[in-house]
Amino acid sequence: MLKVTGLRKTYRSGAREVEALRDLTFTVENGELVCLVGPSGCGKTTLLRCIAGLLDPSGGTISLDGQPVQGPPPGLAMVFQEYGRSLFPWMTVRDNVELPLKQKKLPAARRASLVSSALSAVGLEGTESAYPWQLSGGMQQRVAIARAVAYEPSTLLMDEPFAAVDAQTRADLEDLVRALWQRLNVTVLFITHDIDEAVYLGQRVIMLSSSPTVVQDEITVDLPASRDQLHTRADARFTELRTHVYEQIQAAKRGAQSTVDS
Amino acid sequence: MTKRLGNPVLLGLAGLAGLLLLVEALPRLGLVNDAYLPPTSRIATALFDELATAEFWRAVGDTLTGWAIGLAIAVTAGVVVGIVVGAIPVLRAATASTVEFLRPIPSVALIPLAVLLYGTDLGSVLLLVVYAAFWQVLVQVLYGVADVDPVADETARSFRFGTWARVRHVLWPTALPYVFTGVRLAASVALVLAVTAELVIGAPGLGKSIAVAQSSGAVPVMYALVAVTGLLGVAINLAARVFERRTLAWHQSVRGEIPA
Repeated sequence: MLKVTGLRKTYRSGAREVEALRDLTFTVENGELVCLVGPSGCGKTTLLRCIAGLLDPSGGTISLDGQPVQGPPPGLAMVFQEYGRSLFPWMTVRDNVELPLKQKKLPAARRASLVSSALSAVGLEGTESAYPWQLSGGMQQRVAIARAVAYEPSTLLMDEPFAAVDAQTRADLEDLVRALWQRLNVTVLFITHDIDEAVYLGQRVIMLSSSPTVVQDEITVDLPASRDQLHTRADARFTELRTHVYEQIQAAKRGAQSTVDS
Repeated sequence: MTKRLGNPVLLGLAGLAGLLLLVEALPRLGLVNDAYLPPTSRIATALFDELATAEFWRAVGDTLTGWAIGLAIAVTAGVVVGIVVGAIPVLRAATASTVEFLRPIPSVALIPLAVLLYGTDLGSVLLLVVYAAFWQVLVQVLYGVADVDPVADETARSFRFGTWARVRHVLWPTALPYVFTGVRLAASVALVLAVTAELVIGAPGLGKSIAVAQSSGAVPVMYALVAVTGLLGVAINLAARVFERRTLAWHQSVRGEIPA
């Protein structure tokens, strides 16, 4: 279980203090897929970097499976928005996926089987010896997802992973994330600024306010577990939920706490 | 485009042939005194005569030895110091002004010191070569270390890479293109300084041979030896570039653009 309590982060530059995160409290149960959505510039990425142990919070606590997060926790993998910069251009696809496993000191045979099953899980068989920059943007992000999957994390953090790919690819990758989540029984915290994406993917959607950030609202997405791009997005309930999230985000932008209930 | 410009290799060779013809013609037409600039043909004859002597090859060997050992020391020191200083911001800030002070000191200004310490030994050559080449490498490595992509580094940290793994797998490959640039610059500078040291201090090598040829009035031989140092410089630069292209096939400066 991921537990964030009273999280606060202020940046100091000279005498000026910028409050990015004011007071964030939420939990993600094991095996859940939760989407965090908020207006742009609301500190989503700051929040994710704190959870990943890459950034020290100014106050509050984060714990993962009961262990306080101080530095990158074991069993956690992160997929970055900037896939082109997150993958190492000097390594082939296979070496990129394998490198974290080497750091985990897994034996070679185990590494090879994890790499090949992760690549086939994201539909990239046959690209092992290509370099990331020889692939399209969507395929590069699949490599980054394969690298995270091969790592066998219990928690997967995704930081606006599909913000830089085209709409078609994006729909495919959304379905890929849901399929992997259902198959691997992993906890997923997915950050996005796209309201439709948040409702389509999540079991729950947590809405963040503008910076300084607090939790604006939270809804459970009571759509059926098996979703597809055509029918789910045309569902009346989907429209209701996205309208609610949209209103909350608009309210967040105005800086007002709305009282609309779902 | 290529058609109109002509083959670049052929054009380059044509330019070189033009120069050789000019050097042949100037003294023959009496435009310059051939005691100071003998025609190409006489320099070429002197060069072929030199190629047949063991003394010439010993001189080439001496020059290349000083060059290679000095370059190796400078590159190793430059890379190690560059990575350590570059990766630790406090060190970087503390040493920046000192580097900027020491770097522009011309290596030749250290010739008296070199003579004092090592006389005409290889040590003198090495001191000058290492001093000149070290800064070339160090400055490039510092740029390279500063170029590490924060996302790549965060990726490595999020997968719990240790310090050594981050240096080995993120910092080093990022800095590598800069290291190569530094080595290429250092290799040229090292040759200049090796020949200078031999010429001025009299340490054995091509530089000393040039001085000897000049003082004994063997002007064509002197030109031939000067041409040899030039050829060495070209060969060193070519070798460095080929090696760079092979090793950095993944880098965007080398790889072709591939449409997504």
